Parts: sequence; C-alpha cells; structure tokens
Amino acid sequence: MSLIAQDAPGKTILLMGNEAIARGALEAGVKVAAAYPGNPSSEIIGSLASAAGTLDLHAEWSVNEKVAMEVAAAASFAGLRGLCAMKQNGLNVACDFLLNLNLSGTQGGLVVVVADDPGGISSTNEEDSRIFAKLGDLPLLEPATFQEAKDMTRWGFTLSEDLGLPVLVRSVTRVSHARGNVRLDALPRQATKPRFDTSRPRLAFPPMPSHKALHQKLDRARSAVETSPYNFYRGPEKPELLLITSGSGWMYSLEAVMNLGVQDRVGLLKLSTTWPLPANLVLKHLKPAETVLFVEEVDPFLENNVMELFAQHCMDLGLKRFYGKASGTMPSAGEISPEIVCAALQEMLHVRYEPRPQEYAIKAHEAAAELVPARALGFCAGCPHRATYWAVKQALALDGREGFVLGDIGCYGLGTGPSGFSQMKTIHAMGSGAGLAAGFGQLERFGLSQPVLAVCGDSTFYHAAMPALVNARYNGANFVLLLLDNSATAMTGFQPHPGTGRTATGSEAPVLDLRAICESLGAKVQVEDPFDLGATTEAMVNFLQDKEGVKVLILKRECALVRSKRQRKLYHVEVNPERCLGEKCGCNRLCTRIFKCPGLYWDSATGKAGIDEAICTGCGVCAEICPASAIRKEVA
Amino acid sequence: MNKGLKGLESKVLNQGLCTACGACLSLCPYLRSWKGRAVKLHDCDLSEGRCFSFCPRTEVDLDALHHSVFGKEYDEIETGPVRRVVMAKALDSVFTKRAQNGGVVSALTALALEEGMIQAAILTERDAELLPQGRIARTKNEVVSCAGSSYVTGYSLEALNRGPWQGEERIGVVGLPCQVLALARMKASSLEKRTPVDRIDLVVGLFCTWALDYQPFAGFLKEKFGDKPIEKLDISPPPDRLLHVMVSNKLHQIPLDEIRAFIRPSCQVCLDMTAELSDLSVGTVEGEEGWNTVIVRTAKGEDLLGRAEAKGVLETRAYPEDKWDHLKMASILKKQRGLTALNKVQEKYVTLRQEVIDAILKEVTP
Repeated sequence: MSLIAQDAPGKTILLMGNEAIARGALEAGVKVAAAYPGNPSSEIIGSLASAAGTLDLHAEWSVNEKVAMEVAAAASFAGLRGLCAMKQNGLNVACDFLLNLNLSGTQGGLVVVVADDPGGISSTNEEDSRIFAKLGDLPLLEPATFQEAKDMTRWGFTLSEDLGLPVLVRSVTRVSHARGNVRLDALPRQATKPRFDTSRPRLAFPPMPSHKALHQKLDRARSAVETSPYNFYRGPEKPELLLITSGSGWMYSLEAVMNLGVQDRVGLLKLSTTWPLPANLVLKHLKPAETVLFVEEVDPFLENNVMELFAQHCMDLGLKRFYGKASGTMPSAGEISPEIVCAALQEMLHVRYEPRPQEYAIKAHEAAAELVPARALGFCAGCPHRATYWAVKQALALDGREGFVLGDIGCYGLGTGPSGFSQMKTIHAMGSGAGLAAGFGQLERFGLSQPVLAVCGDSTFYHAAMPALVNARYNGANFVLLLLDNSATAMTGFQPHPGTGRTATGSEAPVLDLRAICESLGAKVQVEDPFDLGATTEAMVNFLQDKEGVKVLILKRECALVRSKRQRKLYHVEVNPERCLGEKCGCNRLCTRIFKCPGLYWDSATGKAGIDEAICTGCGVCAEICPASAIRKEVA
Repeated sequence: MNKGLKGLESKVLNQGLCTACGACLSLCPYLRSWKGRAVKLHDCDLSEGRCFSFCPRTEVDLDALHHSVFGKEYDEIETGPVRRVVMAKALDSVFTKRAQNGGVVSALTALALEEGMIQAAILTERDAELLPQGRIARTKNEVVSCAGSSYVTGYSLEALNRGPWQGEERIGVVGLPCQVLALARMKASSLEKRTPVDRIDLVVGLFCTWALDYQPFAGFLKEKFGDKPIEKLDISPPPDRLLHVMVSNKLHQIPLDEIRAFIRPSCQVCLDMTAELSDLSVGTVEGEEGWNTVIVRTAKGEDLLGRAEAKGVLETRAYPEDKWDHLKMASILKKQRGLTALNKVQEKYVTLRQEVIDAILKEVTP
C-alpha cells in the first residue's frame, strides 16, 4: 500500500514535501499526473505512480516536460483534474505550451508544480521559475511547510477551476526533499466522467481578446488570494523591522527570529500566494513599518513586486528602507539558510547571537571531517560512463585534431570533471549536445578542422535530442553522437523511459529501440559495450574520421546502480601485488592516479594499488587498463 | 628538468622532433602510436622515465655511445667506424624480388637466423595502407615478407618492447639510423629497462637520407591513386630525383619535390646517414642498380658478412674508390646540414666535442 494513498483522514504522518504535494493532488481527486523526472521534483510523480494501483488515476513519465504539461492539460480540457510536475529547467521546456494555455484557459483543475533547485545542487543552472507566473499572468502558490505543500496543492485545483487557469505551485529543494508531519484529509469518492466540450474550443487566439480576458481572470485571482489563510502576519503591531518572506524563507526566518529572541521587534509577513500579491494585506503591514527585509530563494521576485506595489502607494505609505537582494543584505544567488537570515537580522537590529561557541564549532567540524571520506564528485564505481570517457579521451587523442565533446544533461555531465577526464566542454539544456553538434557539424566549410562529438543519455535522447538529430540529418551536419544507453534515467533515480519496456506504474510498455530510431533517421549506427575499451575506442576513432553525415555510436551498458540492485558482481577483481608496478615507470599508478575508479585505492605504505571490496562493483574495466596485468578479474 | 614523459613531450613530441623510431612505445599506457604518430594519452608526472631515456632526440652523447658500442670515442666522423666496405647483392631471387636494391638486408637477416647468430629479428613490415610497424621475424619467410621500403618510419622498435618474446637470448634488429641510435641509448640507459634490449646481439643499420611522415604521405598517395593498393615504392638515385610508384602493375613517376613537404622535421637535425652505431650498415650504391653498399663496423658484422660470402648467400665486390669518396661526402653533407639545422632549433639533443663539430664543418664540400 502506497504511503500517500492511505484513506485515513485526521491521521498525521511523516511525509517528504514531494509526497505531501502528491497527497494534496490525491485529496483533490487528480486523475492524470505526468512529468519528466528532474530533481528536486521527481518524487511527485514517483509517489503518485505508486498510488495509481489503489486509486484510479493515470500517472506517467512523459518524454519531456512540455508533453507532460500537454497530457495533464488534456485531462483538464476533458473536465478532469490534472497535474504535471517538473524542475525549473522543465518549465523552460514547457513554457511555450504554458504561455498559450494561459490564453486558452482550462476546465478541470490543472496544477503545474515546479520545484526549483536553489544553488543548482542537482542542476546545470540556478533559476527562479516564479517569473513565469508574472510572465503568463498565472496564479502562483508557494507552500512554506509540509502541511501547506499538501493543502495548497489541493487548493490549487479549486483555484484553477474557479479561474479557468492553470495554477503554478512553486516548491524548492528544502520543501520538496525535507520531511515533516502532515495531517491527512479525506480522499474524494465521486468520479467525474471526462468529456471534451466541443462547443468550447480551447484556442489561444485571437490573442488580443484572450489576453484581455486573462487579465480579468488575474483580477479575480487578486481578490481570491486576499483572503487566503496561507498568507498571514505574526508580530507586533508596529514592528521595528518588517520581514516579508515566502516558501522556504518562512521557516528560516521564524527560526532566526526565535533564536535571536527578537519576536517583539520583528514582524513576519508570510506570503504563500506570491502572484498576484494579496495587495491589501501587504499594504496594511507595510504602512507601520519603516524598515523592510525580504527573505526568499532565489531571485528578488517578492522584493521587486512588493516594491512595485509600494511605488504605486508610496504617497500613503511614507518613506521606507528596503533591504534584501538589491541592498546586498541577502545573497543574490544560492540557497539561503537560518544562519544567513540570522546574520542579516543581527546586522540590522544590532544584536549578538552565537548559535554555538566557536571552539565547539571547530571541534565539531574536525570530528565530522574524520567521518567523511575525501571523495571527489564523480561517477560511481563500475559506472559505464567512466569507461566511455576513457575511450573518448583515447579516441580524441588518437584522432589528434583537437576534437571535443558537447555535453548534455545526465550523470554523464560529470564528464566536465576529473571523473570524466575533463572531456566534456559544453553543457546546457536537454538535447543541447546534439543541437550544438548539428551546428558545429556545419562549420567545416569555414575551416573548422576539429571533429565534433556529442554525448547524450538514453532518456535525454527521447526527451530532446531526437529533433536535433533530425535537423542534423536534414541539413547535412557531420558529427558523432555517443548515445550512452544505461537503460535508466539514472541521475534522477532510475525512472523508466521509452526504451526500458516499463511505464511509471511498472506495467509493460513497447520498447522504442534506439538503434532502430537512429537508423530510421538515416544515421550510421554502431553499438558497442563501453566496458570493451578497445572496440569502443576503435569505433569512436573510425566514426570521428568518417567525414560524412551523422554517426551514432550507441554505448550500451546498464547503470551500475541499477544492475547492483538485481545482480551480484560480474567479476571478482583483485590486485596481484607482485605484478603491480605502482609508481614505477611503465605504470605510475595509472589506475588510481588517472582512471580513478573509487573502487580502487592506493596503499602508500606498500606502494601498490588495491581493490576496495566494499565499493568495487566488479565491472572489471580496471583489469583492462592495468599495463602490468596485475589486476585480475574472475567471473564471480 | 623533467626527464620523463613531460620532458619528452616538451623537447621532442611538441617540437616535431620525434623520429618515429618506436623506442618509447609499449613501455607504458601513456604513449601509443596511431597511424604513424606517437600520441600521448595521459599525463605522467614521473621525473625520470624510459621514454625520455631511450629517445634518440634527447641527451645524445655521441662519445659515450660510441664508447659503449665500439669501445672508443666518436672519431671516424665521415661515416662512423669502418672495418670493411663492399658492394653486395643477394644471390637468392626470393630476396631480390621485393628488395629495394640487392636484397642484402633480407639475405643477411635470414642467414643470421639460420646460423643461430640470432633467434629472432625485429624488422619493419607494411600493411595494405603502407603503414609500417615492427614485426618479430623468426623464419626466412617472415623475413622476406618484410622486404622493401615505404620511405616512412613506423615505430618498429616498439616490437622490441611489446614482444611477445619466446625466451630468445639473441635478438637482431634492422633499423634506420635513428633506430640504431635509439638502441644504443636503450642499452646505455641506467634505468631499470624491463625490455630485452640487453639481449640484442646484432644490429643491421639502413642508410637513410630522410624519412616521410606517414599521415600526410599516405593522404597524398590516396589522393593520387585512390584506394588502389600501392605495390612498390622506390626512389631513383640522382640525377632524376623521382619517386616510382607501382599501382595496378603500372609505374607512375612523381617528382621528389612533390613529397619533400612530408619529410619528418626530425630528419633535418639528423647527423647520421649510414646508421653508424650498427654492426654493419646497408644502403644503395649510386649508379649501380641491383647492388647494395655494405659497411662493416664490428667483428660481429664482419663474421656475418664472411659467412654470407662463404655460403654463397651474397656476391660481393670491392667498393670503387670514387663511389666511396662520394658516399663519404654525402654523409658529411648530411652532418653539415644537420648541424646547421640544429643551430636553428631550440632543443639541441646531441652533445659533440667542439673539435668534432669543427672537423665536420671543415670538410670541404664540392
């Protein structure tokens, strides 16, 4: 039984923020939920898919976020409730549809959850997606607690139906991925029969009247948020400092104010409907305050919008000092924390607070450092990508024309660092490796003599690389695409995709064969096992030297983590110290200094390499690279 | 100063001074050859390594090397030590058929194997794409299959490091002047070698004026002749200066000036035309088609040539005085060109006594 599917109104359970969002959708009677995985949003559809067996709903991993939003919107057009979820980059992918959907309007409640990744902990970029709400004239909800994550998601469906607009729910990593107590409400009983009302076509155009109608809907949203219980003020009537916050900033601010003991000096205005703003509530609390501090992640969205509101009413409100990102009081990028809020308040209120003695902090840090092994950000032991980049490094060196790798989104993005031997030279959006290659692949006529190599994972291929490949083929670009087929959307948690033969709910699905797709696009295709370094390198060099058209080298090898869940080690690997050359000329620690699989260690006392049994997954690739045949692999 | 891969990279590979001899290859996973180029695959931070120590373009002290090979310093500046010089040709047509000239190198190698003077020989063979590579020959047939030249150096000494060896105690090598120099460097190296260079018992040198860089030359031939296999390459002696290319049983003539651009830059600073650090050296005889020049330098070389004559493997003739003078002049001219070129490059790989330099430069050239 799925944790979030339990029919136990009144029960309080510990939920991850993303599970709370999913539960909110279930309580709202969501029928269709779609997403493309992307951290920190992935668990929303993951947990809804696990509930699909007990509750009647369709949950799917779509090939990309735009399609996911379209799938959810279809449910809405048919009068059902739909939800789609994505990370900030995903909203960029989907926004073309979103910025037409706002004009065509919705029928059944449609909630678009976007989980931002402040600091880009598991992203290529840092982005504040709230700006899309303003751009698209759409209501924006920002839950600040786990309970709100559930309750506001549920409310989002009602609001969406009241306004006939999709509603954005914006989460951040520390809301989505932290856990807290959530009190459950009832699951709905009644079912709606879907029907698309053909008398009400969903058209964005003609744009001008649609846009005007949208503004009228937004005006209705303005009054709806004015009475929202999720916006409230806590503090003295005339505070020395008014702190306005939203989302994750609320808990941090609360903690900071309590730790500093300044509850009687600071007023906290907590907003959860940040577009459109509850103007009257904001104006009411702005009036008595002379100093205002904004606490929010990532961009000064709230800050700018409140100041805009202030500008309209400044004759009534009097002079204020505003502090936040513009003043440099709060960081302009990255996550915030209670410490950061504390530091800002100490400065502004001239109070001193030391959360713990400095000496203790140093000791704690030292103690922690002993427990944490020094390990660089890199591929797992036995990861096929390490072998792939080893072959890439060799192939590009052998080719000798200063070839380079255009990167894409996935675990293999670590190819920019030492784990991938720093081979990857660009990384942008999903599918951008192949897209850039389609461009680079046209530059030979102007004298570009460097061969072009793009990498792309299997899931990324379906997501956005296919159009680039079609484009390259159509326009006659010349490049090599390495399609790293590890049979999973590994980076986000091994979600299935169209090549895996399984759906989000675990049922069987047709396999969309990568080779067949690429061949049907007219590319030259070869399939190799990246663990076979020799054959992989040779295939790569041959493709690099082939000056005609699009070549796709599919490197097929299951993700080591996926495999290890199902299978024991492929090989038992060990080092024969008699043969190990160590730092001698002829080896100079190739395995631990250059190849650097975390399953290998260097024993400086004996001057020999060794295998860390606990970490080694038995891929056996190190046995292939050892120049002294000191590393031996035996079938386990 | 780094005397490992870093040093090799900065002083040789990046300066275009690699001779493609192959002495540095198959010693470690950091360097490998690919289509006629030595490619560094990874960075090695050792301060000292065999690649640098074995290289014929790093720290060559000719006096010390001549001491180790001939037991005396470098004093015969014209063509290196000479015990005997003859014109020779092989009598068995199996050697002359594919040979550049008189088939002497193949015949002598096969004889050395047959006589047990050596148990295996490192030779150079060419694949269908003309790419030369080292080959360990143990039989006459294997020797014959390596006959001929593509005027391209191809890292054939790599075969010494790579093997596989079958416990041979006496190994022969046929090599160009740079390879013969590399062998002397390998033998003289103070590093732990872990390669059977100390079991090399016979060194047959080949005369060389220059060698071509594989990739541009192969590309040039491909452009001219497409994918048709090149059956034979030959450079006719002066004054016609032509490259003869046999394709589909048809002879094509290409002016040498068209391929000069493909000469390895490392050949410009070479001081050795006659492979002076060998037991005996073999080359052409100008104006005598079908004959080879043989310069015997050591007792071992003399023994081999003697056996070849006694067994009727080779026919030999006294070397004409005028041709010997001409050959010495050609050799000195190469040294003079090399010294001049060395003055212009940053990396002076060779150490010579000033009196030797003066003597070379003083030789009157016509």
